[in-house]
Amino acid sequence: MNELKKTAITLNVNNETYDMVAYPNRTLLEVLRDDLHLTGTKESCGEGVCGSCTVLVDGTPARSCLTLAVAVQGKEITTIEGLHQGEKLHPVQEAFVNHHAIQCGFCSPGMILTAYALLTENPNPTEEEIRRAISGNVCRCTGYAKIVEAVKSLAEKGR
Amino acid sequence: MEEFSYIGKDMKRIDAACKATGEALFTADLALPRMLVGKILRSPHAHARIMAVDTSKAERLPGVKSVVTARDTGGDKWGVFKYTQDQQFLPTEKVRYVGEEVAAVAAVDEDTALEALSLIDVAYEVLPAVYTIEDALAPGAPQLHDVYPNNINVHVHIDVGDVGKGFADSYLVREDTFTAPEDAYFQGEPYAVAAQFDHAGSLEIWMPNAGPHLKAKPLSNVLKIPLNKVRVRKITIGGAFGGRSEISPADVICALLAKKAQRPVKIVYTREENTVCTRQAHAMITKIKTGVDRDGRVVARDITCHMDGGAYSSTGPIATSVPFLCMEQAYRMENVRYNGYRILTNKPIRGMFRTHGRAFACGVDLQLDRIGEAMGIDPLTMRLRNARQTGDTTPTKSYVASCGLTETIEKAGKTSRWAEKFGKLPPYHGIGIGCNSVQTGFPMGIRGGSQAFIKLNEDGGVTVITGIVDNGQGNDQMIVQIAAEELGLTPDDVQLITADTEVTPSDPGSYSMCETFIGGNAVRLAAQDVRKKLFRIAAAELGVDAENLGAKNRKIFVTNNPQQAMSIAKAVRIALSRNESISGEGSYWPNVDGKREWVKNPYGQLSETFSFGTVICEVKIDSETGQVKVLEVTASQDVGFALNPKVIEGQFEGGIAMGGQGGMLTEYLQWHEGRVLTPTQLGYLVPLAIDMPKINTIIVETIDPKGPYGAKEAGMSVAMSSAQAYCGAISNALGVYFHDYPITPDKILNAIEEKKKRERNE
Amino acid sequence: MSSGRTRAGGTKRNRLSSSSHSRIRCKRLAPSLESDQPSWPETWLSWLSFVTDSANPPFTPEKALSKHGEKQNNILEGHMRLPPFQYIEPANVEEALSIISTHRETVKIMAGGTDLVNRMKLRLIEPAFVMNIGKVRSMDDIDIGDTETVIGANTRLREIAGAPLVNKRFRAIAEAAFQVASPAITNMATVGGNILQNTRCMYYDQSGMVLNGLERCRKRGGTVCLAVKGGKRCFSVYQGDMAPALIAFDARCVLEKKGSTRTVSLTELFTGNGAAPFALEADELLTKIIIPNPEGIYSSAYRKLRLRGSTDYPLASAAALVSVTDDRKVTTCRVVIGAAGAAPKVIDGTSCEANFEAIAQKAYELAEGVDNLQMPGAYRRKMVSVLARRATKAAIDGIKEGM
Repeated sequence: MNELKKTAITLNVNNETYDMVAYPNRTLLEVLRDDLHLTGTKESCGEGVCGSCTVLVDGTPARSCLTLAVAVQGKEITTIEGLHQGEKLHPVQEAFVNHHAIQCGFCSPGMILTAYALLTENPNPTEEEIRRAISGNVCRCTGYAKIVEAVKSLAEKGR
Repeated sequence: MEEFSYIGKDMKRIDAACKATGEALFTADLALPRMLVGKILRSPHAHARIMAVDTSKAERLPGVKSVVTARDTGGDKWGVFKYTQDQQFLPTEKVRYVGEEVAAVAAVDEDTALEALSLIDVAYEVLPAVYTIEDALAPGAPQLHDVYPNNINVHVHIDVGDVGKGFADSYLVREDTFTAPEDAYFQGEPYAVAAQFDHAGSLEIWMPNAGPHLKAKPLSNVLKIPLNKVRVRKITIGGAFGGRSEISPADVICALLAKKAQRPVKIVYTREENTVCTRQAHAMITKIKTGVDRDGRVVARDITCHMDGGAYSSTGPIATSVPFLCMEQAYRMENVRYNGYRILTNKPIRGMFRTHGRAFACGVDLQLDRIGEAMGIDPLTMRLRNARQTGDTTPTKSYVASCGLTETIEKAGKTSRWAEKFGKLPPYHGIGIGCNSVQTGFPMGIRGGSQAFIKLNEDGGVTVITGIVDNGQGNDQMIVQIAAEELGLTPDDVQLITADTEVTPSDPGSYSMCETFIGGNAVRLAAQDVRKKLFRIAAAELGVDAENLGAKNRKIFVTNNPQQAMSIAKAVRIALSRNESISGEGSYWPNVDGKREWVKNPYGQLSETFSFGTVICEVKIDSETGQVKVLEVTASQDVGFALNPKVIEGQFEGGIAMGGQGGMLTEYLQWHEGRVLTPTQLGYLVPLAIDMPKINTIIVETIDPKGPYGAKEAGMSVAMSSAQAYCGAISNALGVYFHDYPITPDKILNAIEEKKKRERNE
Repeated sequence: MSSGRTRAGGTKRNRLSSSSHSRIRCKRLAPSLESDQPSWPETWLSWLSFVTDSANPPFTPEKALSKHGEKQNNILEGHMRLPPFQYIEPANVEEALSIISTHRETVKIMAGGTDLVNRMKLRLIEPAFVMNIGKVRSMDDIDIGDTETVIGANTRLREIAGAPLVNKRFRAIAEAAFQVASPAITNMATVGGNILQNTRCMYYDQSGMVLNGLERCRKRGGTVCLAVKGGKRCFSVYQGDMAPALIAFDARCVLEKKGSTRTVSLTELFTGNGAAPFALEADELLTKIIIPNPEGIYSSAYRKLRLRGSTDYPLASAAALVSVTDDRKVTTCRVVIGAAGAAPKVIDGTSCEANFEAIAQKAYELAEGVDNLQMPGAYRRKMVSVLARRATKAAIDGIKEGM
């Protein structure tokens, strides 16, 4: 059997620094959920396709289920828990709530982070651009219609 | 129509914010103290006798805290129905599908658990297996169970009127066969179970479910502990779609592991396990013979349907019946015969699905299109002529109290501009229509009713206690809206305790589309009970008769003199100061025929009411690649009354994605000798945002006489008829009728080429 | 976990106990299970030898499941848990070369991780070392020169897709990068990783739940093909998007090893053998892709077919580069088909002057299509032909637009 060595790593998650010990064969998703108890990031496929595990790494959406925890030291990781400001929801979260863009909620953390990253990079996306940007986030409940409406409502605000 | 504060409003859902922040806990998110990781060892064979199971090496592995095999169960066989008791959760004698549970371990971490699995030795004697309906029915085929000769698990037989005479009297008769392979629920949340036992012998268990009370009783039976010691807890659920209703082997296994280890255990399925090892949807072969009169009205119909049920019964009798029942609800026909067969094969188990029976439903509608074409009647008119009407009785004797099907057809037709388009679109551009109907609740015997309690706080706030479960469709929000409305409170004043079998009274669950109708009515009645009690107090205080009172915004007021009012909180305190406890209770049992049974007596009132829906779909086909671009979908459903229109729209939109976009274009399981080759997100293709078309939603309200505020159910008829509309549109676009689903690009390309060949030869 | 004390700068620091890792062992307690278990010291010793004696472990994947499953594929079934490995992060190319020179086949290179991590979870590969070169900055650059353009192997696909000059001058390459998988994947994935992705097949890319009952296929070192009955070779399909587009531009790749470098045409990197798709030595690292800047009037296009509008691998693909003289005589027409076999295949359309039908016909002849992916092989073969025509037409339309 192959050797496995623990390493000390430091992770920056939601503006907090965590000094921890990890084995290299731990994905960022596992460390976030099991060690840091940030269970907002979900696993729905394990192969980087469904987008439920989406976190932001230095601001861009990444698949935490395909990322090794040891490989993201020094990066700024944002999970869904890092979006709201205290009691106040982030405008993207508000829009999702107000537009009924959330049904079962399993895809929502990944979807919201993806939408947030899109709007940060492109404050006024077209519907096509919105759909393309969230096509890496699978939703089984909504048919995406109200998710697109929610993001569109923010796009118009940004104008 | 009364002016409501909350009913009928597009209010945002109470559960949305916690889901938006990631706080909402799903089963896999639970972390209980000293919790162990559970993993299941599965059969690598489709059909084999279990000769020996040796778990000694696994048990000795440090970090392994419990190991379970069939020895730890009573070996009892379970079934949804008394006559389908064929499933042990850890089989004692043989395995019947690849992926069936054989043993399980609970260990301190995942790696140890996986290592332990690899140390379990199982000796099998491999048996011949059958993988298709044809093979299973062939003479001399290996039998999966001794109790089902010829592997025929269920036979539903319905015969109404005189089908033979009907055909003889018909102007035109057609017979066609339609087929579709298995599809999958593919819920966002993979299945997971967390369980713990305490030393008082009580079980606490969490899992995504379509009704905790449906899970509790089988657990009680299998574990041989009374129901009051089985506590299925409330948890956020990531979709059910017709699955997750009856007990699953993982539930029993997790409970047994927890019991043996005396520590909490959590089992989390991978996406593959969710697709393979939880029950999925049937493959189907449907033969339909229909006779119509000169106006295209159906005179007689004879349907034979074979469904591939996998290795065990599950919800077999229901699944075998439902596609037929949906059809007989949607369309009038005097003479009809149905033979539904559920066949066992050495494949994972199948059950009821939200969009179950695409081969059946698309077959019925497509045949109407073909008949209409032969007679010069367009598809929409064919639907109108055959549509169910209010006051009808279905062939199997269900009275239809409210039916807006005609209105949905007309409105969808208008919005989609059907008349301008049908028959007038350019080549490879088509439009199609589908209609269907869905029950709101099945007869479920002693579990068919719902009861709700309401507890009042001295400051006027309440907690509603009900067994209603929310799988993501918005049922919790529904409870809040109903309770707040009836009690005259604001939604903020209403707290919920739901779907917890220790506390909440029995409820049939969301499985049969009855949470609004049955659960919602119970909540409404409980709230009305509280209202009556509070009004008695307020009437005395305000010096008027109780019938002159109203309640709104936390106040009870005199209706023709609203200034004369008192707060609800005050009314509660008055009761308490008189040493009178105050609370509410309500229960609702649907008026269905208790003697109706799926197989033994498939006649009588099936459910108290039905929803009806129409979907129209417009497509454009790339004639070189066969790819389908869906331009626009219009969906309309008679929901009785829209308690929250935005929530209902969301159900329509999601239903179109699942039933139409996925169900008709890309979703199907591919197999190799009983092994699923497409269990994951890259293999089983569910629609993405970029794939979805523009969707128009039209809510039709017929105000059902019995539904809460007239409401029935939200969206199932649209989900089901989406596939039919997509199928009709593609067929219309090409001038070729598709009988095998889903309609993937290769099939479209073949059809185009065959048609060209035929035209060249003519 | 201790309570977070706020440091200067405002970020909280949390110190987690060392129990927050995956392989917690109860080494201080005797296992407490069945009464017929061996005595305490024996168990302790066997556990101890398990942990410390990696040269002679008490179980190997091959032995453990031999009774459970009768066939030869003993893969930990479908649990998506990474196998053990050692992780190395070289600071620069030299270090990387030194490592692969020492450890050779036991090292697997990780760039974006989107291909490797997946396969490791399925236990299709279990390397002793995973070397992350994704952070080597010198390999992450797009340098458009006067006569040639050099793209570092670590350049993220997203960057290639979004670079204005790449879109203008190497449109097919930008289009290919844009269409890989989905946005989050292109954020992570690199062009080198995309080129060197393993070939795929519905009977190979599976977990143990499927494979543990089947014979070992050729790609897995066995003797049968599960996709093609009686198949005499491996029919797995190369589904990379970048390679066809790069090959259309006649790209070369720089392969470095400790002490030497070689530069070969990208086509030479492919063996055409699905069981071992790349002619890459175990101590070689792909560091750069060099594209000769096309001359004169030209345009290019990349077309990809999948059932959904995003996320999926191509079921068929084609890239085309067409260049003409001022008086519209075709000087170059290179069409490359993908998902058409174990390697991209090149069609020279110059002699037929970029005639669509001739190119489509040739594409159909060259394309391989067996029933080992989502859609039937016969359909995919036809689609390769259709896309070859469409890509060529799009390139020519691009030229016309520019004129």
